[in-house]
Amino acid sequence: GDSWGIFTFLCAALCNLPALPALNCSEELGAGQSIQQTYDLTRYLEHQLRTLAGTYLNYLGPPFNEPDFTPPRLARAERVPSATVDLDLWRGLTDNARLAANYRAYSRLLCYLRVLDGQVGTAELRHRLAHFCASLQGLVLSIGGVMSSLGYPLPAGPAAPPAPPGAPAAPNDFLKKMDDFWLLKELQTWLWRSAKDFNRLKKKVPPAVVTLRLEARGF
Amino acid sequence: SPPLSVSPAADPAVISPQDPTLLIGSSLVATCTVSPDFPLKAEDLYWTLNGRRLPAASYAALGPSTLSVALARLNGSRQQSGDNLVCHSRDGGILAGSCLYVGLPPEKPVNITCWSKNMKDLTCKWAPGTEGETFLHTNYTLKYKRRWYGQDNTCQEYHTAGTYSCHIPKDLALFTPYEIWVEASNRLGVAVSDVVMLDILDVVTTDPPSDVHVSRVGDLEDQLSVRWSSPPALKDFLFQAKYQIQYRVEDSSEWKVVDDVGNQTSCRLAGLRPGTVYFVQVRCNPFSIYGSKKAGIWSDWSNPTAASTPRSERVAGGCDPKGGEQNTTLRRELKQFFGWVKKHAYGCSNLGIKLYDQWRVWLQK
Repeated sequence: GDSWGIFTFLCAALCNLPALPALNCSEELGAGQSIQQTYDLTRYLEHQLRTLAGTYLNYLGPPFNEPDFTPPRLARAERVPSATVDLDLWRGLTDNARLAANYRAYSRLLCYLRVLDGQVGTAELRHRLAHFCASLQGLVLSIGGVMSSLGYPLPAGPAAPPAPPGAPAAPNDFLKKMDDFWLLKELQTWLWRSAKDFNRLKKKVPPAVVTLRLEARGF
Repeated sequence: SPPLSVSPAADPAVISPQDPTLLIGSSLVATCTVSPDFPLKAEDLYWTLNGRRLPAASYAALGPSTLSVALARLNGSRQQSGDNLVCHSRDGGILAGSCLYVGLPPEKPVNITCWSKNMKDLTCKWAPGTEGETFLHTNYTLKYKRRWYGQDNTCQEYHTAGTYSCHIPKDLALFTPYEIWVEASNRLGVAVSDVVMLDILDVVTTDPPSDVHVSRVGDLEDQLSVRWSSPPALKDFLFQAKYQIQYRVEDSSEWKVVDDVGNQTSCRLAGLRPGTVYFVQVRCNPFSIYGSKKAGIWSDWSNPTAASTPRSERVAGGCDPKGGEQNTTLRRELKQFFGWVKKHAYGCSNLGIKLYDQWRVWLQK
């Protein structure tokens, strides 16, 4: 109940951040709070995605909205960043590398979602998608904030590339439905794994003062 | 054999027709042709439509690796994104799919009504014109142009006053007839509404009156006095305003309308019941715009304001409905309580019977 209100508020605050200095109080204090915020945001997005995916898959129609549906990954070009990696490999990465992979993945996922928003049929879906994209944008900024506060450089390139990288659009409507299905599926897996990543990271970074610092942007 | 989960270089099969658009009731024969790289034959395939397996009786093998299916008298699409017709291998794996768009062409949009807020903009709404659904995504475009001037303009801001509405925010000329129409289009065709002709000055509305106050008239038990301010836009534009009041008792849904208020900003309601809470609303109609004789469009009603008529302390011989009695006892107690609060508690000056009345209005919403 109340927690979702706070997450939304944080989301809105983060989305309004033009740059990240507000999160740079002192390095250790900032990091702890940033990580907690990012974790919370990830959980909130997971929750939002459940509703969005449900609505969207109903729009695609059966069999896409059936519970055990798993279409083939037809490899025209693997556009969407895949969340399935070897778990040992993943855990073996440095914090920096893992954070950077998260940052890049969500940036690309965000721009695929934005393209979706432009094409989708019903007003309700467009509204939900727009809301989700705004929250996801907040997550990208939040991860950037964590990286900055830990002293890591941000991955090169713009935070959210304006056009989807490289690959051509799906050649027919059914293949496009499959692409959309996989986009949502991958998003789901990424968020699920990111939550675990940030939870683990939280324990590594010493906890800071428990007060929420909302000095920035007139709040 | 294990499910086909390997990602091959080419698409495993091709369906024809791919993503067709069809009229409701039409029939369709679709074919699924397996790619030569695949070790599958026609007899290894089956079809589903929206997740439901289609009967083998409707299949026909047109070649060693081509299976067709016959669909008769198609219903309107189950979802606007298209029905999912899928060609499967025996183990359930998906080889290819085609989205079927089955529906009807749009009908002429109807009932176009427009209004201008303070002569600054124009909002129009319309109705779709189809009794049932078209089953296909239908796009609506509102267009307008000045009569006798060639250029068509397209409205850009949709859904401002409901699904079928559009808002034109600027660059509108006054004293000029405009032609306005709506085009509906979907995959099966286009339909254009009849043209509506209007001058912005004919459809002007304004904001509801502000600062509506309702108060008692001394001790008179059957009267209330209503006062309000004219909407702010009035002073910027050359129009007059006429007003209408509606009021009702708290537990009734029947509004009484006072029509002959004219252009004053106050009015006295009479013939009311003593000791009763009334809800009052006022609205405004701009007329005589730039001297024309025509009326404009009534504004929305102001937010309801509440007040109660006094009741003399002498017990009248008349009958009160039971609910009314409970009400007045409660109100009397409340008033006494508020009086006491004012005397003994600091900073509670806003607490009073008026606030209680406003709360009751809010409860009714």
